[in-house]
Amino acid sequence: MAGNKGRGRAAYTFNIEAVGFSRGEKLPDVVLKPPPLFPDTDYKPVPLKTGEGEDYVLALKQELRETMKRMPYFVETPEEKQDIERYSKRYMKVYKEEWIPDWRRLPRELMPRKKCKKAGPKSKKAKNTDKDTSLTNTADVLKKIEELEKRGDGEKSDEENEEKEGSKEKSKEGDDEDEDDAADQEEYDEEEQEEENDYINSYFEDGDDFGADSDDNMDEATY
Amino acid sequence: MTQAEIKLCSLLLQEHFGEIVEKIGVHLVRTGSQPLRVIAHDTGTSLDQVKKALCVLIQHNLVIHRVHKRGVVEYEAQCSRVLRMLRYPRYIYTAKTLYSDTGELLVEELLLNGKMTMSAVVKKVADRLTETMEDGKTMDYAEVSNTFVRLADTHFVQRCPVVPATENSEPGPPPPAPTLVISEKDMYLVPKLSLIGKGKRRRSSDEDATGEPKAKRPKHTSDNKEPIPDDGIYWQANLDRFHQHFRDQAIVSAVANRMDQTSSEIVRTMLRMSEITTSSSAPFTQPLSSNEIFRSLPVGYNISKQVLDQYLTLLADDPLEFVGKSGDSGGGMYVINLHKALGCLATASLESVVQERFGSRCARIFRLVLQKKHLEQKQVEDFAMIPAKEAKDMLYKMLSENFISLQEIPKTPDHAPSRTFYLYTVNIPSAARMLLHRCYKSVANLIERRQFETKENKRLLEKSQRVEAIIASMQATGAEEAQLQEIEEMITAPERQQLETLKRNVNKLDACEIQVDETIFLLESYIESTLKRQ
Repeated sequence: MAGNKGRGRAAYTFNIEAVGFSRGEKLPDVVLKPPPLFPDTDYKPVPLKTGEGEDYVLALKQELRETMKRMPYFVETPEEKQDIERYSKRYMKVYKEEWIPDWRRLPRELMPRKKCKKAGPKSKKAKNTDKDTSLTNTADVLKKIEELEKRGDGEKSDEENEEKEGSKEKSKEGDDEDEDDAADQEEYDEEEQEEENDYINSYFEDGDDFGADSDDNMDEATY
Repeated sequence: MTQAEIKLCSLLLQEHFGEIVEKIGVHLVRTGSQPLRVIAHDTGTSLDQVKKALCVLIQHNLVIHRVHKRGVVEYEAQCSRVLRMLRYPRYIYTAKTLYSDTGELLVEELLLNGKMTMSAVVKKVADRLTETMEDGKTMDYAEVSNTFVRLADTHFVQRCPVVPATENSEPGPPPPAPTLVISEKDMYLVPKLSLIGKGKRRRSSDEDATGEPKAKRPKHTSDNKEPIPDDGIYWQANLDRFHQHFRDQAIVSAVANRMDQTSSEIVRTMLRMSEITTSSSAPFTQPLSSNEIFRSLPVGYNISKQVLDQYLTLLADDPLEFVGKSGDSGGGMYVINLHKALGCLATASLESVVQERFGSRCARIFRLVLQKKHLEQKQVEDFAMIPAKEAKDMLYKMLSENFISLQEIPKTPDHAPSRTFYLYTVNIPSAARMLLHRCYKSVANLIERRQFETKENKRLLEKSQRVEAIIASMQATGAEEAQLQEIEEMITAPERQQLETLKRNVNKLDACEIQVDETIFLLESYIESTLKRQ
């Protein structure tokens, strides 16, 4: 606009020398693409440190990685059912120890709600199936029975309260067929506490087939 | 959380806990505090699996739970704690150097399991140690307990927050989640346990069992049924204390490199004396008088008081200012400037990176700008004695990678470029953060490459494992040399070569990860100390 345009020739408003190159000099080409994914390096990296200590830490790291895979905390992805059961699969199963967390330290909603096949009066036995079963969803009935024999009655302090409420719930609802958040001993409490919540607990949630996130208030199971 | 950190968290969780836990963990790191159902809905995993994953994450102190208003329990992930998983081998090695094999196994079990009761961990470690001992010897529980108590006394392990003991007559329904509390004085209190027993071998035959006195047998076989004496008191590894130890180690070795062995011993003594009195986040230690230092020097060092005073004066006068003099009483009061020391270490890392990436002339310019704080383009060329064109090129290269930044000082309010000073400067905290980000990205790249290499050769690895298993079982049943040879030849020579290469590469990548983690530790400590000062 205003100002001396230098008779049609561009004039810089600052001392061009200060930037570092003079007028008319050939500048490097403008780069119009992102930098390369594996750029060349002018200088090779420095070699790694070696020594007894470093070797030991390396061995520790690799062992730790292997050990972690065998711990019960490593949650395996459930495999899809294969059409033909492979013979070798039976012999390659890694036996993992079970792990029961200390439920007193965890929020109650994290406890697994297992479906109970037996109705009301056998609530005590069913409670053991409920709580003392491990987190792994084993469909192996034999294993479950073994565990029940071993565990006996878990000496958890709040079990007594829950048993009473559980028997109440059980007689209310009869048979259940779901695996996930089944109507359970604590739902009674939960409903009382969570009424003002945005998250509506469904009374009846079906198993994996239905999708665990259907939050509609469906009616109780009808058969 | 930056993208690089999230990616690294994801890789670490996947390697250690599997895909499901990884999905939940990364989701929490990304989105912050969330309740259970929202997590299940957003990640598209079944509620059961989300619960499982959360239990595992909480057990390992990676996720905490909080009860919000209206009884909703929210879960929050601790990203920095997830990144610590990279450093587990270093913690275990440190425990080994300080407390030998027993300490090493104790810390390893605590890290592998997140939190454990003292009786459980002592028993497990005793069993493991017994396995490695010769036949017939067993490890006594008492010895393992002693090491555990020593670890607790020096604060390397600490108690986890406990469920507050409430009375049963509390009105109303119990809260949906316990609020865990711990008081400062209880944190290192070891419960009075009388752990009697010896470690047991896994493959204990009947001879072993009958050899033990009858009274002890019930303890081993049926301690599921017996009430555990320290039920509910869980212990975890105190990572901050390990970090303090690493930091002290780094400072001592820096002094040793810069000066000599004796001065590093003096600094080590000073740090040891301040271990208990100074908190880990203080900018400098408590003042120590020269007389105290003289008394606390290790027994082997026979230096006279005057020599010690000379060394201390030298250390205090050093431009790096690791040690400062804070007074004259008691023969001179000296402090260690922890913040300055960490700053020096971080700066040294930066300088070293510039040197290795851009060359020594760039490093010269970088050190120059560090020293002079602010320099113009012309001044850089003059002071560094490098021709203008090259100096300009190097400065711009470093500028584009954010090691150096520009400071504008306008002469006029309109910020006209012709009337503004442009000064080059190094902003150390910002450059440190940039380098830290690059380190995270490096480690993520290393882990990915290692996983890629392993996946490429998966078939070959499985084959070699099968062959090894066959050989082992054949050896156990007593096979001839010729048969073993035949089995070994199942793996051809080129395949063996491939396996060798694979092993070498994986080892190299693992070693790289460990060493990048050392740099990460330095930079993180420095950044943390700058934050705390504000």
